[in-house]
Amino acid sequence: MTAYQDSARLAQGEPAPEPCYHCGLPAEAGISADVGGGLRHFCCQGCRAVCEAIHAAGLQGFYRRAPEGQVLGPPPEPPKDLKLYDLDEVQQEVVTGSADEREVNLLVEGIHCAACVWLIEQGLGGVDGVREARVNLTGRRLRVKWDSTRVRLSALLQRLADLGYAAVPFDPQAAEGSIQRENRRLLYRMAFAGFAAMNLMWISIALYAGADEGEFRGLFHWIGLLIATPTLAYAGWPFYAGAWRGLRQLRLGMDLPIAIGASMTYLYSLYVTLTGSGHVYWDTVVNFLFVILVGRYLEAMSKRRAVSATQRLLDLQPRVATLLREGEEAIVPIRAVRAGDVMLVRPGETIAADGAVIRGRSHVDEAMLTGESTPVSRTVGDRVSAGTLNGTGSLEVRVAAVLRDSALGRIVELVESAQASKAPIQCTADRIVPWFVAVTLALAAVTFGLWVRQDAETALMAATSVLIITCPCAFGLATPMAIAVASGTGARHGILVKNGAVLETLSAIGHFVFDKTGTLTEGRPRVIAVNDAEGDWPVGTPAGWSDARRRLLACAAALEVHSEHPAARAVVDLAAAADIRYKALTVDDFTAAPGYGVSGRVDGSPVIIGTADWLARNGVALTAGLADAGAGADSADGTVFCAIDGAAALQLTLRDRPRADAADTIRALRAEGIRVTLLTGDRRRVAEAIAADVGADQVIAEVLPADKDAAIARLQATGERVAMVGDGINDAPALVRADVGIAVGSGTDVSIASADIVLITSELGRVRDAGRLARRTLRIIRQNIGLSITYNVIMVPLAMAALITPLVAAISMPLSSLAVIGNSARIRRLVGADGPGNARRGT
Amino acid sequence: MEVIYGLIPGMLVLGLVAVGVLFWAARSGQFEDLDGDGQRILMDDDVEERDPRRFPDTDD
Repeated sequence: MTAYQDSARLAQGEPAPEPCYHCGLPAEAGISADVGGGLRHFCCQGCRAVCEAIHAAGLQGFYRRAPEGQVLGPPPEPPKDLKLYDLDEVQQEVVTGSADEREVNLLVEGIHCAACVWLIEQGLGGVDGVREARVNLTGRRLRVKWDSTRVRLSALLQRLADLGYAAVPFDPQAAEGSIQRENRRLLYRMAFAGFAAMNLMWISIALYAGADEGEFRGLFHWIGLLIATPTLAYAGWPFYAGAWRGLRQLRLGMDLPIAIGASMTYLYSLYVTLTGSGHVYWDTVVNFLFVILVGRYLEAMSKRRAVSATQRLLDLQPRVATLLREGEEAIVPIRAVRAGDVMLVRPGETIAADGAVIRGRSHVDEAMLTGESTPVSRTVGDRVSAGTLNGTGSLEVRVAAVLRDSALGRIVELVESAQASKAPIQCTADRIVPWFVAVTLALAAVTFGLWVRQDAETALMAATSVLIITCPCAFGLATPMAIAVASGTGARHGILVKNGAVLETLSAIGHFVFDKTGTLTEGRPRVIAVNDAEGDWPVGTPAGWSDARRRLLACAAALEVHSEHPAARAVVDLAAAADIRYKALTVDDFTAAPGYGVSGRVDGSPVIIGTADWLARNGVALTAGLADAGAGADSADGTVFCAIDGAAALQLTLRDRPRADAADTIRALRAEGIRVTLLTGDRRRVAEAIAADVGADQVIAEVLPADKDAAIARLQATGERVAMVGDGINDAPALVRADVGIAVGSGTDVSIASADIVLITSELGRVRDAGRLARRTLRIIRQNIGLSITYNVIMVPLAMAALITPLVAAISMPLSSLAVIGNSARIRRLVGADGPGNARRGT
Repeated sequence: MEVIYGLIPGMLVLGLVAVGVLFWAARSGQFEDLDGDGQRILMDDDVEERDPRRFPDTDD
């Protein structure tokens, strides 16, 4: 509806509206309030309420602290049923401490900047009973200590909601405890290697400067040994473990040359220290480990950022169900729901477990499970599935299966089996490494063989120099550094890369498969054809409609505006687009029959809208013309009839509409030589109509949810690299099966967990941006590898000729690493120059 | 130059102390929120708005 209004406003040439006082988006006419000593305009009621709450709490200093000109975006929708979080059963999973001092970690949506930190800490700090509130800006989370005898947790969450933040409790240990511990261990190793490198550096400088000839030579050598030994054992441990794992699986991994290079250098230096002849390379051992660990740490950090961001999306899902026990309502964690329990599902709630309806009637949105965009009617005796969304009615459901055995659980199983059967992705670097290692070892052996006839010590030194020089410092940084910069850049543009290796795969994708409902289309239908007694309306040109027709549509829209059904919204949208003033009409006696339609009196005349059956039940017979028009419409398109004053007057055909940027995105992808396929469970005719609209090459329709991954596998069997873009739970196995799975941000938890890349917003343009980022990253990775190979091509012959002095080695190794780091930083600039547009909205 | 026999162990001990401090800092969460803590110190409490007379020159 807003899209229509926007275009209408633009057409009338009104001036651009002033920004919302709270969030900075364009303000909507008519939403304003007198706060803070002046009339302020807002973009939505949410912003107005938040702004008033902030002023009422005396925290208006927030607006002075917020960065100038930053668009905050409207406040997120607060979580429902805050009272749940007061229950001990729910709290025990996430809350620690005793009654008078409890502590909880909250994930907070809507934190943008330091001003938000201030607002939250001041806003909660002023509440009686709160001991401490501390925001983590990087992680967008909040730790609260409070006295539960004086204030309830739900009151704190409500306070946050009033200030414009949606917060839900979570368990930090369960969410990312293991990743964090792993990263911390890596940080320790890196810090220790750094300490060793710094100290050895100036001992080495002393040695280069001449101490190697003087009285302290022995002392410096032994100190080097003292520092390098624990460094190799502690900081070098992951490389030995990795090399050993690789050897057992008969793979020449990156860890192997690192382990061999470090060991050889160490052993040679040990030999020199013990015998007292030659140069020591202690500094090389530790510098090398330090630089490689920096690369590993950067890689781990970028991965953690993406994982924790997706974890957030998962944790925002409901975790409780309402059970009816002996007539009493009881709220229990989902884990505690058993088969045979009776579960109450309120309007708008997610159904927590599979079961059969025993009372009530409602529409259930099963799009996430089946891909079907129209909510299905469910009444006594019908089955409902976990993870689907209840519509407007209340349902009582007898639970048939707990989550593990539910339809959702089976899809999760499918995902797991697809994951297990998918080959791990190999990066270019991974493919080159075995060759690189083999060549290095061979060259070292050849060098030793050539020099050993002259004298054994020179031979050993030259062979070790070859290993040191080729120690793939730059090589080890080439990929992780580029991927770290790329995922950081992606995250700022709303593209979360969960698995860095897919960036490389993504740039080689020849075939994009899009899920239809909710991904390519908006997932909400619109009216594509209208018929009345005189025939077809020109839907595209509402200006040409006669007054009688406008009057008919006004009556229909006036009634439908009271219904929540997607078809009703479509009718209202059509009226709004035609600038029909339906709001002036009065509506009485509105009744809705889920699954059939609505009826009521509009300005006194009885109006009935719904299926043909609904009209028949209200005693209205369809005229032959309208019935034909209805039958002529594609059976998968929705069709709705409208009767006014007891006579059938209108027939409307509804169809889901492609997203505004779908056609552009697909055209751009095809211009890059990529094939585009539409994959859907919907009927072929509907799918083909949408495909023609957006310009897809190929349509795979009428696919059962469980067969989507098989469809991807068939495409892959033809030798193509396939990327899947989807959002529903039913897309999850296909997302895993595809070479690259891309989940669209509005998607469901399972699909987000299954994807390699998550787009935070639903803008399809991000798919192209991700592809562009991937190609740039790959180009930089190739340049990095080229740089380090060039370095080796120059230095290795020198090392083989036994011309490398320790000084040359010490200077050239960091230089090659710096070159790689500098080159990787260019990814940021490249994307900034002509990359993804409107960056701010993605963050 | 005999001082070097004392200085080098001293340097190593000092270095290890620094590493120990870093480990402690990482373990106690000093690196958890690198963005927030840097900006938090710039956000003063709102004393001036509750009692403007104390700061007659503030622009509010």
